[in-house]
Amino acid sequence: MAEERYPINIWVNEERYEKLKEAGLAEMCEEMLAGLKVIRVYANDAQKDKILKAFPTAKFDSATTKSIELLPKDVKDKMFDLIVQKKSVDILDEFLSNY
Amino acid sequence: MAEIGHGGKEIVERILEPSEAKEKIKGLKQIPIRSQIANEVIDIAYGFFCPLEGFMSKADLDSVCKNMRLASGVVWSIPILFDMSESEISDYGIKAGDSVVLTYQDNPLALFEIEEIYDYDKKAICQAVYGTTEEKHPGCARTYAYKDKFIGGKITLVNRPKINPPFEPYFIPPLEMRKKFKEKGWVRVVAHQTRNVPHTGHEWLMKGAWLQTYGELSIEKPLVGVLVNAIIGEKRKGDYIDEAIILCQDELRKAGYFGDHNHMTSLTFWDMRYAGPKEAVFHAILRTNLGLTHHMYGRDHAGVGTYYGPYDAHRLLESIKDELNITPVYSMNWLYCPHCGEVTSEGLCNHRDEWQKFSGTVIRSIVMDGVKPPRLIFRPEVFDLVMECAEKYGFGSPFVTDEYLKNRTPVFSVPPLE
Repeated sequence: MAEERYPINIWVNEERYEKLKEAGLAEMCEEMLAGLKVIRVYANDAQKDKILKAFPTAKFDSATTKSIELLPKDVKDKMFDLIVQKKSVDILDEFLSNY
Repeated sequence: MAEIGHGGKEIVERILEPSEAKEKIKGLKQIPIRSQIANEVIDIAYGFFCPLEGFMSKADLDSVCKNMRLASGVVWSIPILFDMSESEISDYGIKAGDSVVLTYQDNPLALFEIEEIYDYDKKAICQAVYGTTEEKHPGCARTYAYKDKFIGGKITLVNRPKINPPFEPYFIPPLEMRKKFKEKGWVRVVAHQTRNVPHTGHEWLMKGAWLQTYGELSIEKPLVGVLVNAIIGEKRKGDYIDEAIILCQDELRKAGYFGDHNHMTSLTFWDMRYAGPKEAVFHAILRTNLGLTHHMYGRDHAGVGTYYGPYDAHRLLESIKDELNITPVYSMNWLYCPHCGEVTSEGLCNHRDEWQKFSGTVIRSIVMDGVKPPRLIFRPEVFDLVMECAEKYGFGSPFVTDEYLKNRTPVFSVPPLE
């Protein structure tokens, strides 16, 4: 059975979109919810647990979206910068190694 | 004409006029209370908790735990308890038969006629009400935090709370609420329970419930209203601030997504227990007393974590429907379908592979990321007001912070008894 994967939605505001465009990564964005741009980073079970422990305000939306939400903006900014730097959304192992 | 509340009992406000109050409390011992108890004192006195006239006796608590009924047999699902430690009872020197003054913010709030001082097993309360004894359940945590003794007895308000801006227009006690419904000509009113700033999923829950409630009634003039009844109580960090919740709910009416003819916003003071099905029953009682005829229930009403099944509340309500004077309206989730290009009900749309679900939590995440959600998902007037509330009331944040908890203006104040 495939391992469950839980998205972290990094919602792309104008500032983030400019950075993506500069890095040639604008196509990395998906469109959701009637026009919102988002980059989705996927966590496995162990990464989900580690995130929820490291960032107590974060919440796993178990009822509706099965996504990890309410990470502080500065945490998402760090994830976003790592995505731009690595040109990939596969950043969680490296990101979580600091926590 | 008498206004009849839950259990067939007349709703009577237990409030003394100031001159009588001053006389009655002269020389009585004063006992300070915390916010949860102050909220419940106000609810009892204004009739939100009819037929309760005070804090529960042991017989009532035992019957609520074992039968989900008061000792009189009337359905009741959540214990309403006044707690004190043995040493406090001894230090104050109070006993059954005494009357004391409950004070809040250092001013007299209510007369408490002590009828009984008793013990009860808190674990048994948790198991009966919450279906678990785990401390991580917020309702259990609240129960375990009670001190060791409970005190039953009648409550009479001696001093009306002053509701502070911007909340004043939204505190509408049962007798006043029922008058408002009559003035509006509403013959059916459906409750929308909330602790959230509304996104369009909430808006459509209300619109769907309004349509369900309208049923066979004549459409020649407006006969049905939605009452948003926001629960205002203890805040947790990261919640929306109270001011944003109440003002944004009302903004849906002011901005024309609803109108005066079908929508009203109000608040009730209550610290959520997250008791799922039992809290659903409690909400039915509360809103019956407010004069509502219908109550909307979605999935996992007032639940937390994975303690309750999504439809447990519906099943419990069905099992006692003949004893309730309010009709449950069951609502399916609303979601965004990119194929339809609209917010739609999961009971209607069949583009299942394309559905994009959203929740209050997701919207909070979007706002936290500094992004303005599209109008189909979050109304621009609501978004702008959330941001205005952040500046005006939230010390820069629409979400509860330590600074907000420390420095906010309380929702109500208890003035000196003049």
